[in-house]
Amino acid sequence: MPAAAAIRVMVVDDQASMRAMIRRALQDLGFKDVRDRGSASEALTDVRNERVHLIISDYNMPDMDGLQLLEEVRKDPVIGKTVFIMLTGSSDRDLVQKAAALGVNNYVVKPFAPAALKEKIERVFGALT
Amino acid sequence: MDEPDVVVSTVLGSCISVCLFDNEARVGGMNHFLLGEPSVSQALLPQDLQRYGLHAMEILINGMMKRGASRNRLRAHLYGGANIVAGLGRIGSQNADFARRFLETEGIILGHVDVGGKHARRVEFLPFEGKSRCKTVAHAPTSETVLKALPPTAELELF
Repeated sequence: MPAAAAIRVMVVDDQASMRAMIRRALQDLGFKDVRDRGSASEALTDVRNERVHLIISDYNMPDMDGLQLLEEVRKDPVIGKTVFIMLTGSSDRDLVQKAAALGVNNYVVKPFAPAALKEKIERVFGALT
Repeated sequence: MDEPDVVVSTVLGSCISVCLFDNEARVGGMNHFLLGEPSVSQALLPQDLQRYGLHAMEILINGMMKRGASRNRLRAHLYGGANIVAGLGRIGSQNADFARRFLETEGIILGHVDVGGKHARRVEFLPFEGKSRCKTVAHAPTSETVLKALPPTAELELF
């Protein structure tokens, strides 16, 4: 079982309040290394410079959206296998199919409770310690 | 939607309404939420989360951006947050504090602000112009009334 404290996470959402909420939820789950960016392009630069184990990204963002970020990550030979969880609105049904085709590991539908985020992360990593 | 003569209105007690607009794109919207944000430890169902401002604001902002609004042009008017029922704490004040913090965190400039007090408010908002007006009214809707009025999904209608 992986230790949450050993997993490096990048949270990407253009809404600062949402990034803060996700950060608090992750820290409550035991994650210690949580980075966050308000733009997908900045997040992409960061994770190319220093790899993370998990990217949690919103879909609806200006300039580069979450799907484009996923595509760029998956194309990269170095970071291409990074676990990627997409945050989607309840009306983004097509998004889930497109993201699955690009290799997203899981998705969380907004609005979500922290327990839902934990469940989705554990489906990919296994039960967290 | 570019309909210059559309007015949206709501009645607020302890709830908050944020009237958000982008004057250049001529897009605006209003939400109405009961509480600010849930605590991390709360076990809530997704349908319960829709009553929280944290999610209501994201839905509104994303919806407006899909219709051409730009985040850095957003402006807001803020109403509600009255502490109407004695003995129920200061939910209204807490809601108002959340809304102010949220808008400041997101860099959204505040215009008109009319929050607090002990009386309900009726707010009318003209999204095309970004204009609003507010007056006190005798009665506020109960939380049950507002919850029944909420749609089962997070769909919203923007003007």
